Amino acid sequence: MMKQAFTLIKHNLNKMKGQFFSFGIIICLTAVIMNIALVLALQTFSAYDDRFTELGTADVNVMISQMEYSDTIIGEIEKIGGVMTAEKHEGVLVAATVREFADADFDMNTVFYNLDADRRINRLEVSAENETDERLIYIPVYMKELGGFSVGNYITYSINGEDFICKVGGTVSEMQYGNYGTGLIGAYLPDAVYSEFAEEHIENKIVEYSLIIEEGVDLEEIKTSITELLKNKGISVLSVSDREVSRQTRTMVCTLLIVIFLALAAIILTVSVFLSDFRIRSAIEDELAQMGVLKAVGYTSGLIILSTVMPYTLVGGIAAVFGIVLSYLLLPAVANVLAIQSGFSYTPVFDVGAFILVLLLLSLSILLFSYISSRKIHRLEPINAIRGIIGKEGAGQNILLAAVSFGIMVLLSFAGTLLYNVGLKPDNFMKTLSEESPSVIFTAESGKMQELKNVLLEDNRTESVLEYITAQVSSPDGSLTAFVCEDFCKVRNDICYEGRNPKKENEIAVGNALAEKYPIGSEIEISCSERTAGFSVTGYVQSINYAGEVCELTEGGYDRIGGSVGTVYVYLQDKTADIFIAEYEEKRQELIATSVNYERLAENSSKIYAGIVSVVTVVLFAISVLLVLLVLYVILGSILNRRKTEFGIYKAVGYTSRQLTIKTALEFLPITVISAGVSAVLSIWYLPAMNQSIFSLIGAMKNHFEISIWILIIFVLAYTVVSFVISVFLAAPIKRITAYSLFKD
Amino acid sequence: MNKQVVISARHLKKSFGKDENVQTIYSDLNIDIYKGDFTVIMGSSGAGKSTLLYSLSGMDKPDSGEILFDGTDITKLNSDKLAVFRRKECGFVFQQIYLIDKMSLMDNVITAGVLTNKNREDIRENAKKLFSLVNIPELTWKKNSSQVSGGEAQRAGIVRAVINHPNVLFADEPTGALNSANSAAVLDVLTSLYEQGQNIVMVTHDKKSALRGSRILYIKDGEIFGECNLGKYESDHPMRTEKLERFTAEMGW
Ligand SMILES: Nc1ncnc2c1ncn2[C@@H]1O[C@H](COP(=O)(O)OP(=O)(O)OP(=O)(O)O)[C@@H](O)[C@H]1O
Ligand SMILES: [Mg+2]
Repeated sequence: MMKQAFTLIKHNLNKMKGQFFSFGIIICLTAVIMNIALVLALQTFSAYDDRFTELGTADVNVMISQMEYSDTIIGEIEKIGGVMTAEKHEGVLVAATVREFADADFDMNTVFYNLDADRRINRLEVSAENETDERLIYIPVYMKELGGFSVGNYITYSINGEDFICKVGGTVSEMQYGNYGTGLIGAYLPDAVYSEFAEEHIENKIVEYSLIIEEGVDLEEIKTSITELLKNKGISVLSVSDREVSRQTRTMVCTLLIVIFLALAAIILTVSVFLSDFRIRSAIEDELAQMGVLKAVGYTSGLIILSTVMPYTLVGGIAAVFGIVLSYLLLPAVANVLAIQSGFSYTPVFDVGAFILVLLLLSLSILLFSYISSRKIHRLEPINAIRGIIGKEGAGQNILLAAVSFGIMVLLSFAGTLLYNVGLKPDNFMKTLSEESPSVIFTAESGKMQELKNVLLEDNRTESVLEYITAQVSSPDGSLTAFVCEDFCKVRNDICYEGRNPKKENEIAVGNALAEKYPIGSEIEISCSERTAGFSVTGYVQSINYAGEVCELTEGGYDRIGGSVGTVYVYLQDKTADIFIAEYEEKRQELIATSVNYERLAENSSKIYAGIVSVVTVVLFAISVLLVLLVLYVILGSILNRRKTEFGIYKAVGYTSRQLTIKTALEFLPITVISAGVSAVLSIWYLPAMNQSIFSLIGAMKNHFEISIWILIIFVLAYTVVSFVISVFLAAPIKRITAYSLFKD
Repeated sequence: MNKQVVISARHLKKSFGKDENVQTIYSDLNIDIYKGDFTVIMGSSGAGKSTLLYSLSGMDKPDSGEILFDGTDITKLNSDKLAVFRRKECGFVFQQIYLIDKMSLMDNVITAGVLTNKNREDIRENAKKLFSLVNIPELTWKKNSSQVSGGEAQRAGIVRAVINHPNVLFADEPTGALNSANSAAVLDVLTSLYEQGQNIVMVTHDKKSALRGSRILYIKDGEIFGECNLGKYESDHPMRTEKLERFTAEMGW
């Protein structure tokens, strides 16, 4: 069968080299994107797990204050059912501000460990050790990649107003606190430096129990047992972390990228299927008589279909292989970009499974869809075909163009909206990803809260003032970051995505990490320094920075567990936080203990995200333009071929090539504008849902993106203009059609 | 005369269109085609000559009736079996030449040849012999089908039609699109193939072409209206011409 169809297959391939080339490029692109997504999906998580095992990382880590420590605890922990082994580490836990972290001051809860202490569990892999007599520090890869601290740089931790400066001696790979997604980051000091540092911060010394649990034992159960055990001893837990949360937060961007890539690949594959369908249909119409003759000569429908379908499948298969190979050239770079956020790097290797999957998926879908398009060859009676009788379907090219314009506009609307909300309305983006962000945060001198508030309220530069604090509390499931506010109705960024914010002193809203365990209406026990109280859950709040390990309490509620709000969030009318702070620190010294320029902090962190987002947008734009180019190439190719005679006649009566080129390009315009326009209008409805579901993958349950009609209009126009220019460019071969070709055909 | 039947069609009915627009071409047509004949089918335009040819060759199905081709009723075959039947038993020459464009004349022939012969070299050798028989030099058969003259293309069409050694070669006005010199060349080719034992059924309007036949059938009012045996062609002998003239006049040509 194959042998009989061989001559025809070769001929079909040869006849439309350009068309197949462009088809090949699209498939190659699909394969690149798809294979990158698949390799990441297949290797990142297992690379993480391998690294996890390699370094003997603990399943659960619990921190308590050194002051509450006693020798017997470890034995008791080891006796808990399901715990295989436990190890005790010493450290110093401080709320530090890291200066010049990615050019901003970043508040980071940091645990300083002794680099030279013996570890069986949570082993460290240290790189680039460096011999000098300076004070050295070893930092997680994340601090180096995202924060921009290279070996040899100086890093400054501001702790309780005092600067602790070290020279970066190298990086440490470790799988528990290697990224700030868990709300804690590590730092490692050589023995001598550590001893001195610990001496200075005795009150902040902690003891950490790192546990390895038996296989199949529920993590949550173990966490609960340990907190119970400690609570019964009157010891408060400073932090509980587990492998699941770490894994999730450290692979967050990767997961997002995989989803976006797979969606992109699906869109491009759909376009290429439409393309091959269009090509096959128009080939059947153009070459009807020839197919009739082939049938007359004795070709079966099967053979003719085979010779139509095989070129697409072959080209698709070869292009897919190319694409897969190409993707391995790009993968190391992609993996490096991901390492910035995940804080661990690995080298992607060739993946046979992904290879087979991509190749099969692409070839089989091309085979299937081109078969469907060419199926009607079966119904072609040879004699009818020769006489040119066929149910003309026509309009194929218009449908193709409309579908492609629609699809590309989906990409563009998404990209445009992303750009708008990151570039022009960064507040929306930050609100989606972060918590309450005021312009300035002041900590009042004790007893001066009310006075400070009054002064601020009278200042005509302030828009509003809110008593608000971010504090650490503990729950049976470990420590939580609590957002405490005088009135949640007044917050700028309402992070509650289900239910409502707490209003009464016995109410609480919990983070998404706790949502499953605590249904709305259930009770949860929260304790602070020494007191514990029960709260009833009113709703759920989102938190990406703290991986959902958060809660919201009213001021009264916080008071019940012995806390008091000592900070105010100040919202300024203009972006003048630095002047404002300078002035208050000078003139109102007696009221203010500390101040934070949150405005700059927010700006800096949105810069980091803006970088990632602009890369995504640029890629989406490039892909859109490429798709338009290839699709129009195919459509114009077939138009020029089919309407040769018509163009010849026009030329014979005196039209210039220029006029014909413009005329042809203009014919596409209505369809492009209308379907892009319709897509843009529809996007007003579907984009919110789309953004919502994409962002919920990383825990941003509440999306604050706005859709700008103007951006959509601009993008529709831009798309129309770009495709018009491309069509004029691609219709240029009209020049070569002469009036003479009329007589040739 | 004891001639062997190749095709025997009985009670053929064929109509086009539906309801009030229905046009019956023939309602009960019977015809036999014999081995060793160069059968020519004549008739006025629209009489249904092409339609009959397509039915006999399994290109199109009659509405009812049976067509025994070497004993097989081809009206009962499904489309794939018909395709296999055509590749083995039938060769076609059309009025509009219908070569595959952007393909050389040789490849056009090979495209048909591969259907019955697995050996490409064998097909090429055969095709070369046939090209020389129809007077197409190597320089020409290497050309693309859109770059040759109408006469050359039609002769290549004949090579393609006979490359699989068909039982019957069907030709529907093979000279219809050609000038007289080219027509004569094509007719010469058909005649020499006939002389080598090829069964031929040809539809034509043209008396000059019809003269080449050994047996002339005239179709009219949906039936074989008359028949005339001219015997084997040797030259455009006046006697032969006269016999044909008389026959066509009788038929009301
Ligand atoms: N597919 C079709 N649909 C409708 N009518 C058809 C179809 N094919 C043929 N006919 C009609 O059937 C009749 C016979 O057509 P046919 O082609 O057999 O004539 P012909 O004898 O070969 O004529 P000519 O000498 O002009 O080629 C004509 O009137 C034609 O219009
Ligand atoms: Mg006819």
